[in-house]
Amino acid sequence: MVSTAAGATSSGAGLEGEEGESIWGEDDASIAETTDVELLKRAWRNEKAAPEILLFEAGLVQRAREQIQLLEETVEDFVENGTDDLIVSLYQMDLDRSLFLLRSYLRVRLQKIEKYMFHISRTDLWNRLSEQEKKFSKRCVNAMEKHLEQSVLSRLPYGYQSILKQSISSEEDDMVPEPKLDTFVFCKSKGAVGAFQLDDVGDEIVDLVSDDLYVLRYKSIKGLVEGGRIDLV
Amino acid sequence: MANYYNIDDILMEEEPITSIFQVRANGVGLLDPGSESNCVEAGAKVDLPLWLAHELHLRQAVAIGVPPCFSQRTRKEVQADAACVDLRSRCPYFYELGCKIFPLVGDKSIGPFLLYTFTSRYKEILSKSHSAPVSTSPKYLPRLTQEETQLFKAAQWSIASFRKWRVGGSRLEKASILGRKRKPAAAQLPPAG
Amino acid sequence: MYGRTASQLLRELDIADSDNLQAFNSDTCDQVIAECENHHLMLQSLIRKLEGEQLDIQTARNEDHFGAVTHHLSLLRNKRCLMAYMYNRAEVIRSLRWKVGAKLPEEIQEKLSFSEKEYFKNHSAAIESSMSELDLDLTVDMVPPKDPYIQVRVLDDIGDNLSLGDHSFSLTKNSVHSVRRTDAEQYISQGLMEEFFA
Repeated sequence: MVSTAAGATSSGAGLEGEEGESIWGEDDASIAETTDVELLKRAWRNEKAAPEILLFEAGLVQRAREQIQLLEETVEDFVENGTDDLIVSLYQMDLDRSLFLLRSYLRVRLQKIEKYMFHISRTDLWNRLSEQEKKFSKRCVNAMEKHLEQSVLSRLPYGYQSILKQSISSEEDDMVPEPKLDTFVFCKSKGAVGAFQLDDVGDEIVDLVSDDLYVLRYKSIKGLVEGGRIDLV
Repeated sequence: MANYYNIDDILMEEEPITSIFQVRANGVGLLDPGSESNCVEAGAKVDLPLWLAHELHLRQAVAIGVPPCFSQRTRKEVQADAACVDLRSRCPYFYELGCKIFPLVGDKSIGPFLLYTFTSRYKEILSKSHSAPVSTSPKYLPRLTQEETQLFKAAQWSIASFRKWRVGGSRLEKASILGRKRKPAAAQLPPAG
Repeated sequence: MYGRTASQLLRELDIADSDNLQAFNSDTCDQVIAECENHHLMLQSLIRKLEGEQLDIQTARNEDHFGAVTHHLSLLRNKRCLMAYMYNRAEVIRSLRWKVGAKLPEEIQEKLSFSEKEYFKNHSAAIESSMSELDLDLTVDMVPPKDPYIQVRVLDDIGDNLSLGDHSFSLTKNSVHSVRRTDAEQYISQGLMEEFFA
């Protein structure tokens, strides 16, 4: 079963090598999907479909970059040694696909940070970012604050100049945009999750069968996504 | 407010709501075109934008009525032939307004009415968006509410993307924000990075 | 009606839709700022009146209280419209860095306010320093790749002897080249090249 190994991934700095592979490694049928490229593809899909930012896959990104570099060197060697053009271009295509995945994964995350910069920097989501993403997030917030400050806020009457509160009488930060967690997502589980409760009160229970496609609210399967038990598509 | 910056949400709150002042309010004569002094008398009937009517209602300063787009007459029209009704002219944010207003006016029948309206119009929206040539949409589109228009466009976009994918061809395109007939200056800097 | 002018700003955004940018409307913004100032003056004078009558601002539910509340709410509304106008434009401006590049064409520059131009610069710098830390250009590879090389036709004289990747090309108008996809991508999104199918 997938479920036991999965819980371990929710803490720490992301999927470490052995840990990441053990998730699917226990499932004999999916040996082919334990390559880093497949794991990256999965992380990329999840990141693209999830409304909020997910935990940065530090180990995975590190390994993917090493492999890409290796591929680049291989292609260069081939070109120098005059290897058959067809073979070179096959390697090149493989390289291009991996590079695309990596770029797109990192880009989707930066764009999510752009979109929810205030929310992310004020919640637990902050801990899901890499060091470099944290720096980016801070610069985003600074640039945006400066812009809104000088265009609007500094020109408003005293008491109405906050970027987080509508006025000083607001009890909470009522201006911060948040991701919509109750949005619907397409998802598919690798292993059978079994009966799963979608809401708090237990009125809605769905039996998640492996490899079936579901459309569910992100909010209700958030835990399964974070635990790696279900994939978004 | 998670949707503080949401354009649709802000514009929806601009919808006029018939409100009757339960109290007198000083210094806000602008609200009541019939007022001669700079205040609004108790009992004055004024159309206020939802954002104001809502907050004043919470403070029991005004009583608000059910907007005409949820009147019995509209309901009958929708029941007769939902797909044909021009909802946009009644309220461009028909569904969002309905969801927001029903707890305020305490009319529980609005919810099922919204659901009925949406489900009866949904099929037509999807089939039109997938099949209709662009030339027929000028007639159909103006009847749709803002929410329905977004749905229509999303469906149109998805079918267009699907066709493009099936045919193949170029996927690299000029950024749509740059005008179609742009004449770039002769010497452009090469892209950075 | 209170807040009506401010809502015009958002109607403008609504018509333009997310892929388009209209010229920055500084006149209307100034007007709304002035309206805010007026609401604030009215609010303060009503509060002073309440205080003069030894009444508590929060609990005195008289005509001055409701007048003050209305002005306060109108100020919040105007602030929301102004902020949403700037914020949603800022989103489009950010997307330009990804789609068009670090240098904006004149036709877009002229639609931006001074602060918006500055914002674009600062935000671009944030993206660029992020990419240089990663040592990876994230603004290419916007669509999944098929072939490493593509045929492109040059739509305008871009320059002689420009290096794209390992080779240099003479990118004159209507010339056709076979180049690396990632090298051509930005030129295509800027409208200087198009993919060419023989």
